[in-house]
Amino acid sequence: MAHARPGRWIAVAALAVAALAMAAPLLWTLLLSLKSNDDLLRGTAVAFAPPYTLRNYGDILGHSAVFGWLLNSTIVSLGVTAGVLTLSSLAGYGFARLRFPGRDIIFILVLFGLAIPEQSVIIARHQMFSALGLHNSYGGLIFPGLAAPFGVFLMTQYFRAMPKELEEAAWLDGASRFKTFWRILLPLSLPAQATLGIFTFLSTWNDYWWPLISATNSSMYTLTVGVASSQMNFAQTNGLGFLMAQAVFASVPILIVYVIFQRYIVAGVRAAA
Amino acid sequence: MRRIFALLCLTVALCMTGCQRAANGPVEITLQRFFGACDAQYGASTDVAAAEGECAIITTLVNRFNAQNRDVHVKVNIVYWPGYDQLSAALAAGDPPDLVTMHQSVISDYSLRGLIEPLDAGLKSVGVDPTGFTPAARAGVTRGGHVYALPFDNWAMLWHVNMNLFRAAGLVHNGKPVMPRSPDELLAQARQFTRATGKPYLIQSMVNEPSAYARNLFTFLLQQDSDFFADPRHIKLRTPQAHRVLELFKQLYDEGLTTKNQDYTAATAAFLNGQGGVYLVGTWMIGTYDQAARQRGSPLAGGYAVVPYPQLYPARDATYADGHSWVVPAAQRSPEKTRAIFRLLRFLKDNDFEWSRTGHLPAYAAVIASARWRALPHRGDIVRLVDTATPLAPGVQRQFLVQQIISEEMESAITGQKPIDAALADAEHRVNDVLFNLL
Repeated sequence: MAHARPGRWIAVAALAVAALAMAAPLLWTLLLSLKSNDDLLRGTAVAFAPPYTLRNYGDILGHSAVFGWLLNSTIVSLGVTAGVLTLSSLAGYGFARLRFPGRDIIFILVLFGLAIPEQSVIIARHQMFSALGLHNSYGGLIFPGLAAPFGVFLMTQYFRAMPKELEEAAWLDGASRFKTFWRILLPLSLPAQATLGIFTFLSTWNDYWWPLISATNSSMYTLTVGVASSQMNFAQTNGLGFLMAQAVFASVPILIVYVIFQRYIVAGVRAAA
Repeated sequence: MRRIFALLCLTVALCMTGCQRAANGPVEITLQRFFGACDAQYGASTDVAAAEGECAIITTLVNRFNAQNRDVHVKVNIVYWPGYDQLSAALAAGDPPDLVTMHQSVISDYSLRGLIEPLDAGLKSVGVDPTGFTPAARAGVTRGGHVYALPFDNWAMLWHVNMNLFRAAGLVHNGKPVMPRSPDELLAQARQFTRATGKPYLIQSMVNEPSAYARNLFTFLLQQDSDFFADPRHIKLRTPQAHRVLELFKQLYDEGLTTKNQDYTAATAAFLNGQGGVYLVGTWMIGTYDQAARQRGSPLAGGYAVVPYPQLYPARDATYADGHSWVVPAAQRSPEKTRAIFRLLRFLKDNDFEWSRTGHLPAYAAVIASARWRALPHRGDIVRLVDTATPLAPGVQRQFLVQQIISEEMESAITGQKPIDAALADAEHRVNDVLFNLL
């Protein structure tokens, strides 16, 4: 024990330093958000001394559109998450359990989707959505997110790993294929669903590029586009406190999601690895 | 069934009532702009005179227009600077806004593709005469003989001077900063300044800087009468004139006569904190530094001056300039909406003095000549810009990208990562490659 104690303290100290290094940018952001823009213009060292102010947060909340953007982000993120979970589960089950002509080729094509960057399809997608009149609508913001090759892959692998005996027992009891999927396999895939749901929600919440060019009407802005539009020119210089307050404000909902679903996120990262 | 039928009738009736209301209601026009949002302080204010800064002034101006014109409602779409991605996306989707802020240097990118409308007839209909624009503003918004935008201002890089340090260096004469009249004088004065104060003469934003280097180069090429954009689709940078400019800035850098490794934020703070003599930055910083000069204890207290770039080369006095303007994207619009747009443009023109309080140069000769504009702090010291402000040739496209490429290559040369001639050759090749491949 006497030998273990110094080692333990070293490990704790190392972890504390690492934790501090991880938290430092967040704390720095928070500190800067509590200073006035004028003070920060002279240099950021003033952040360590009072006076502090909540004015930057007041300026954000005073913008009449900000709660609309929050609502838009929530609707879009939840819509994409629900859609991805539904489609990925169904597709994953199909690829894992059903036999149909061309199944493996289609699955490989889906996997190719993982390798195609969004940038390469953005113009074609924009034109398609223009033709359909979907820009500046929730549909325009939600539909592109529903194509989720990673979700299909994850759910396929998860369903493949489940013992077939479970299904066979249900069939012996007279359950249909859909009932087996709905009542037996889907509940068992909950950990994978949670992982996929959380990652989908987070990536949709943080998405900037597609909402920037699809939602050109400010009433349809998501939070990321909205807070960016509120910044004055040279915001990093003349409006640093406001900029940092925006960063804190935009990350609060995400922080809440992390706190609530922390367990699943860790499990998800482990499962994905 | 009856209930469904009744519900349908009710829906149709409600819709018709709604449509009727819309037809009789105010004409709505959508204005897309940058300059940020400041609704918390100015969202309901129409007191333009009390507003300070770009965001506050434009917000209160639009509020006032809405208050004074009950038959028109201006809906504002604020976009992240500069907003051209959103504009292009909206144009591609066939749903552009009615009025958009646009840098004058960007107009060619849209006018040559027919994406914005010429405004000659519309401006005439509301009594806006382009002959009243300043020369720089008129050149900035005119393409192929047509006016494509209502100019709102012109801006240029300036020499912001710390007079307290200049005094210590013996570079003040009759209360004015002594400005160099040649590259040799600039070097001599910079050395004198640094010897006397122990601080660099120039403060420059030199890191992650997409445009400042290029603006410096343009200014000093214009002063040498270089025809670097004789053909708007072909730049010439492998010239003795360009070499001279880069050599000058490299020497300032090598001798420690300028700050090094500072980005825009650091350089802006450095000048506020008295860490150098001259900060090369635009018209938009006049208000901030003037305010600092009025604060007791500030390194700039009682010692701030601002002047246009000095004429270092004898051919002509010129400073590269750009400006903000208002364009109307091409779209089908009702006559009522078109009339409303031009009424708003007239209103913005009539309030150009208010906008000029941001520090930018007015776009109208009458405002420049007015006593109230000249009474604003330091405006008399920069009025020379009215005659010297010069945009690039009107047909030059992709000017933001051109500036970025030139700035990257200049940075390489000035900081010694690349020989000057190689940097100029690379800049020329890269810019011409971009311009050659334009559709």
